[in-house]
Amino acid sequence: MFKKVLVANRGEIALRVIRACKELGIRTVAIHSEADAASVYVRAADEHVCVGPAESALSYRNIPNVLSAAEITGADAIHPGYGFLAENAHFAEVCESIGVKFIGPTSENIAMMGDKAKARELMIRRGIPVLPGSPGELRSESDALEAARKIGFPVIIKASAGGGGRGMRVVNKEEEVVRAFQTAQAEAKSTFGNEGVYLERYFLEPRHIEVQILADERGRVVFLGERDCSIQRRYQKLVEETPSPAVDDRLRREMGRVAVEAIKAAHYRNAGTVEFLLDKDQNFYFMEVNARIQVEHPVTEMVTGIDLIKEQIRIAAGLPLAFRQQDIKLSGHSFECRINAEDPEKFTPCPGPIFRYHQPGGIGVRVDSAMEANSTVVPHYDSLIAKLITHGQDRDEALARMRRALDEFVIEGIKTTIPLHRRIFSDAEFQKGRVSTSYLERFLANHPVNPAH
Amino acid sequence: MKKTQPHRQPKRNQPRTKVAQPETRAPRAAGSQDISRAQRNHIAQLVELLKEHNLTELELERDGVRVRVRRDFFPSAGQPISWENAPAGQVAQPESSAEPTPTAEVPGGITVTSPIVGTFYRSPSPDADPYVSEGDLVKKGQVLCIVEAMKLMNEIESELDGRIVKILAESTKPVEYGQPLFLIAPASAS
Repeated sequence: MFKKVLVANRGEIALRVIRACKELGIRTVAIHSEADAASVYVRAADEHVCVGPAESALSYRNIPNVLSAAEITGADAIHPGYGFLAENAHFAEVCESIGVKFIGPTSENIAMMGDKAKARELMIRRGIPVLPGSPGELRSESDALEAARKIGFPVIIKASAGGGGRGMRVVNKEEEVVRAFQTAQAEAKSTFGNEGVYLERYFLEPRHIEVQILADERGRVVFLGERDCSIQRRYQKLVEETPSPAVDDRLRREMGRVAVEAIKAAHYRNAGTVEFLLDKDQNFYFMEVNARIQVEHPVTEMVTGIDLIKEQIRIAAGLPLAFRQQDIKLSGHSFECRINAEDPEKFTPCPGPIFRYHQPGGIGVRVDSAMEANSTVVPHYDSLIAKLITHGQDRDEALARMRRALDEFVIEGIKTTIPLHRRIFSDAEFQKGRVSTSYLERFLANHPVNPAH
Repeated sequence: MKKTQPHRQPKRNQPRTKVAQPETRAPRAAGSQDISRAQRNHIAQLVELLKEHNLTELELERDGVRVRVRRDFFPSAGQPISWENAPAGQVAQPESSAEPTPTAEVPGGITVTSPIVGTFYRSPSPDADPYVSEGDLVKKGQVLCIVEAMKLMNEIESELDGRIVKILAESTKPVEYGQPLFLIAPASAS
């Protein structure tokens, strides 16, 4: 097992990894920028190293400084968390080459999954259902037109290197294809430095369902149920739950089987997520593999009782999975609300000082956060400040628990998404589990906060 | 940003000492008062005690007043480079400059800080003489030290003509980004 792990991240996920290391008896090194020096997660670590100024390109994404921090502290492994260097194949490769274990997939895995078009080609070869779409990247306008005609409208044009909704264009009619292709290409080039785009069938009212997998270094793979991440705004997830109200046991087994197949086809290692789109007729299609631990991993931990971060560390240390598929039992229901430092109506970021801070507690409530009273949400990084997770024996209990936990949460000084979560959890459609990726946009349009204005 | 540490004297070569002050922030219990002169002296004594016995943390409760003092051994965390000039309750935030600030003006000199994370060396090899010693006159562009990172020796040069007032880091020891290395009095000021 590792003796000392450097956590190459900040905020709640850094604290999450530090907690897992402590329970495994591993010493921890936190890295921080000058803006995060006073943060909770820095104090929680055994050692800490300042790796640069506030700007993440010069600190958290600064590979020489992060590796030097590992070197001067004698860390034998690095956990990248999510974001920053987590899906940087070059970073994973450099770690491998200097003998510091990268706790995550191999650099080849990351490179393969980071190229969406290539990953898709692999899945097609293995007979895994993918969204009907162009066979590879679109080379020209006529390529785009031909593919769109073959698949049928509406279609969506996506950046090969994309994610988070950037470089995406929905096209409803043939006349719009050329322009959408050009703007998507330009956006892909400016955002990701790679103008490759591809085209897929666009589904109305689909659900975003993802399957958590773990794969050890011997190639044994298990899946740990699914997560329903349909509550999104502009491709940013806001609420996640497991199990999905739309997935029954038969469908779960089938999606799990396909996810395991996809992971084996890619010789993937460590923790990962296979994302599927589920249509109204319960057909599911492979979208992509997220080669990292995800923000929403706690809901899976709540229903399986398995600590995914510890499993990541054990797998990276070369240990075989300690359980088989039949040992994994799902118990109860879990929700996660992402508490962001954002205006709950306009969704503009809202950094600033927090004067009062009180976390909810009690049975079945978990908060993953690195905030505290008299701390500051700095403007340099993403706006996620806390994840509120509840667990109940069934969906109703987990839901009621979330409503009361949201009412207990006190964060004064900045605006947060808590009021929006209260409204969502009070909505009859949401309570019935009748949601799709279009739910939130429609809910916001139908439920203006101040009808008088 | 509200810092949890009060202002401190600029002693950069000592372990940082911080005085926790929850009692002044939290809603006060009835009858409690502002910190009196006696209490202030008392806290100062505790800080001295901490240094004397090489402790990191000490908590004392007496007459309903609880005082906790602690200090960090790893130097310079929580301190932006130009902290001496930062207004109270604010973090000095160099606006996303492409280059790390290598120097900062402090009373009596300019602080040269480490631009990278690595290991600090005062001389080019273990047997060689140090590049500079306290009291030496240095020219702009003159090598002051090496910070080794990923097997690469990065020579850190002086940004100005002046005199080395103090060497703030220990040779062969790790340094983090922004950690003060030298205090240099500018030639014009000396």
